[in-house]
Amino acid sequence: MPDNKPASTPQVHPSNIAANAKSSRERLSPAPLDPMTGRSDPSQMKPHQAALRQAIVDSFNAKKARTFLQKQVHHISTNRELADGIKFLFDEHGRPPNMPIEDIVEERRMVEYHLMWVEGVLNELRHRLIKIKEVEDYAFEMLARAAEKNK
Amino acid sequence: MTAPLFLLAPPRSYTSLVNAMLGQHPQAFGLPELCLFNVERLVDLWVGVEGENAERGAMARHGLMRAVAEIYGGEQTTTTVNMARAWASAREDWDTGRVFQEIVAAIDPLVAVEKSPSYAVAVPRMRVLLKAFPDARFIHLIRHPIPQGKSVMAINEGAFTMKMNAFEIDEDYALLEPQIAWHDVNMNILDFLDEVPPEQQIRMRGEDIMADPRTHLGAIARWAGLRDDDAAIEEMMHPERSPFACFGPVTALFGNDPNFLSGPTFRPHKPKIPALDAELPWRKDGKRLYPQVVELAREFGYA
Repeated sequence: MPDNKPASTPQVHPSNIAANAKSSRERLSPAPLDPMTGRSDPSQMKPHQAALRQAIVDSFNAKKARTFLQKQVHHISTNRELADGIKFLFDEHGRPPNMPIEDIVEERRMVEYHLMWVEGVLNELRHRLIKIKEVEDYAFEMLARAAEKNK
Repeated sequence: MTAPLFLLAPPRSYTSLVNAMLGQHPQAFGLPELCLFNVERLVDLWVGVEGENAERGAMARHGLMRAVAEIYGGEQTTTTVNMARAWASAREDWDTGRVFQEIVAAIDPLVAVEKSPSYAVAVPRMRVLLKAFPDARFIHLIRHPIPQGKSVMAINEGAFTMKMNAFEIDEDYALLEPQIAWHDVNMNILDFLDEVPPEQQIRMRGEDIMADPRTHLGAIARWAGLRDDDAAIEEMMHPERSPFACFGPVTALFGNDPNFLSGPTFRPHKPKIPALDAELPWRKDGKRLYPQVVELAREFGYA
């Protein structure tokens, strides 16, 4: 289990104390360190800092989305460009290292098989649910009738 | 159980290459990025954890799946990756230190070598690592802040800097500044290493290893109590022979930097080390390294 205790008093090794090691070092990130996670926490930034940070994050996300879309458009233009997009999967001789095409086909078939299996189970459960609901409704109806008779 | 060896460094600091090189030592076993200490329990690698620091995404699991497939199944195929998923499922409530201990025991007496740059983003993550392996050894791997920052900004639009909240913020502007991430991650590592006995830690500059790998890999081997004969050094010169130095099966492709996976062969070279007052390639305003970054870089031996 990780030690989630605050890091306010780190246990400096005795030999390192002798070597004049610093026990607390300043960070440069404007987001203060969260003592629990040990990571900089942007929620503790000043409002104007948080707003400027958010602007950078938004611009970063927009840039990523634009790059992604550009790649997609690039990919669908020709088959050759599609191959370029996945060329990192192949070595310099054009062979797929450690990943024969048979593996890819087999994995695709396995995923298709799993999907069919899950869909089959889902259909079976839906069918059972309908039946059980019918039985449940009928049982409630019978109970209601019996209660009427007993009055 | 033989104590593992961990590389601690910011990303883009030659960690993939050095990890694979050390892992090729005949008495060692180089693991892919397991990312285990990013989370508390194994299942969290699948379901993620709450908040800003959530670690989601299948790529964080690829390394573990490939390692389990290789170690327990003897090969990395879609079948053994499926087996690895079942292995993980049976251990989903284990804390990740226990999971790592089981992997280390499975490859004993070989020394497990691992680097997941995500460990160094927070001191508590590294503390968990030391708690699981009190005898572990740590290599603090350094790279000059300018080429490292340039490399970080070239990957995924500089996403790592955002993960570290490495923003330069003034009254009317904010920008992503990779030198802040370089500085803060190294500070995290230094803070953590204060808690580690000195004989269990060593600091190395990546540029030195690239320029003279035989000398420096030999020095690391001696420090780690491993053989340093010519045959052992020669093995370490071939990171491409690692079973993880390539893309994995279609269900667990990664587990390491894609650039390394597509070209894992080591080519000796002498990296250019810029002056600490050189221009920063990612800044258009001509600003240079911060004084705190220069000071830390000097402490690491850069002039």
